[in-house]
Amino acid sequence: MRKRMTKNRETVLIAVLLLSALSTNAHAYLDPGSGSFIFQVMIGALLGALVTIKIYWQRLKSYFSRLFSKKDAETDR
Amino acid sequence: MEDLPHPASFRDRSGHIFIREDTLLRQINHSYKEDYNFLINSGLYKTLVEKGMLIPHREIDNISPKPEAYKIIQPEHVPFISYPYEWCFSMLKDAALLTLTIQKAAMEFGMSLKDASAYNIQFVNGMPVLIDTLSFERHEEASPWVAYRQFCQHFLAPLCLMKYIDARIGQLMRVHLDGIPLDLASALLPFRTKFKFSIYTHIHLHSKYQRAYADKSPDTKKTKMGRTALIGLIDSLESAIKGLEWNPPKTEWGDYYGFTNYSDDAFNLKKNMVEKYIDKINPSLVFDLGANTGEFSRLAGKKGIKVASFDIDPLAVEKNYLDCKSNSEKNILPLLLDLTNPSPALGWAHRERASFMERGPADMVLSLALIHHLAISNNLPFEKIAEFLSSLGKTLVIEFVPKDDPQVVRLLKTREDIFTDYNQKAFEKAFHRHFRILESSGIEASKRVLYLMEKDGA
Repeated sequence: MRKRMTKNRETVLIAVLLLSALSTNAHAYLDPGSGSFIFQVMIGALLGALVTIKIYWQRLKSYFSRLFSKKDAETDR
Repeated sequence: MEDLPHPASFRDRSGHIFIREDTLLRQINHSYKEDYNFLINSGLYKTLVEKGMLIPHREIDNISPKPEAYKIIQPEHVPFISYPYEWCFSMLKDAALLTLTIQKAAMEFGMSLKDASAYNIQFVNGMPVLIDTLSFERHEEASPWVAYRQFCQHFLAPLCLMKYIDARIGQLMRVHLDGIPLDLASALLPFRTKFKFSIYTHIHLHSKYQRAYADKSPDTKKTKMGRTALIGLIDSLESAIKGLEWNPPKTEWGDYYGFTNYSDDAFNLKKNMVEKYIDKINPSLVFDLGANTGEFSRLAGKKGIKVASFDIDPLAVEKNYLDCKSNSEKNILPLLLDLTNPSPALGWAHRERASFMERGPADMVLSLALIHHLAISNNLPFEKIAEFLSSLGKTLVIEFVPKDDPQVVRLLKTREDIFTDYNQKAFEKAFHRHFRILESSGIEASKRVLYLMEKDGA
């Protein structure tokens, strides 16, 4: 009985070790380049601001174009 | 039969490509299990495949003896593999825009591309497609884009160089397989590019920072980047790429069909004859050599035959590609190729990127209005031309251009005529050594002769 139990424990231990070896994270094998990484974060704030402005500007434009086309439709009556 | 790992597939430990009994398969390792399941379950896979942006695959029963294998998938077949240094300007531009579009879509599903290599894109049915299914990873909250450097080197830098200097400089991609180093691009680009915000930022300034941190190891694990900043980055790169228009100077081949010696009749006659030969052989894959803008490639393409349409002139390939796009042409792949110096085998152990020859043979090779450029301009004996052509395809449609043809007369105008055996008889004799001549016919209204040949032992 004791012999069987140690054998079971061994098997479980090996299985756990194997599984933990297999499930290592294979994140980003690619070297992002430390300079590129830092640079990206640095300009990120500025670029984020720019794209936010761009989106709001586009929304503003489409709002006004819809507004004026409605006005045109009204004056056509 | 043993599984053959693909020689170009080794960097990403998430899995690799291998060949089993002539079929290309991809092994997904357990380490990638969570990411793969997320790709499928989140709906990102379905969305991208439906838009024709990601190569579809099917899962096959895991018949791998390897313990690290989680799943085996079979991606859809790519009829002809090509590389970024064989693409024209707009092909590289479209591949770049696709990469960014995919990254934007991935972010919406909580994923991100872990690389942005131009070699992850292939052209299938006339459009760029991402072929690396394992390129996606679950996006870690507030992490920067790990593929930013690679995107700048593989896409932005070569496109800028091709636009601001010369299209031919794109061949630098053959030398730098991980994209053009940014310090090189920065040194080569003209000074006025420093006044363009995107190029200044992503090439010049980016390069300076790379140099500054070259021998430093900052704690990159602590660097955080908000979602808006990431969107801003991708948007900025997209604007940069979209803003690159190529305005090429006129090349000697650009207006080829405008001033060749063909009368319209002769041209249409030749077209009919070539088409007849295509119908007779009914090939599955055609190589059109010296295809120019692909006039004759289209004869096969419209029949549903896959054609790789090669030419040495970047402008001709560009025109061919833009034409294909506007006509939704699915069967033609325009590519850059110098027959006297074709794409060699490159990369680790000379095996990562296959040579031109290794990607053949085709069922049919078209060699129209070409022989005089090889034999006279390049001093190649007929025998050598015949030998090379026989290694490229099982059948050959070749046009013999005689010495008194206006095109040949033009070539010989400024040089000594040492080509004493440039004649039809010598041509046939040389080609007989590698081919059986099945049919031949003179092209009326010109002095040229069209041949249909079959490789000996084919």
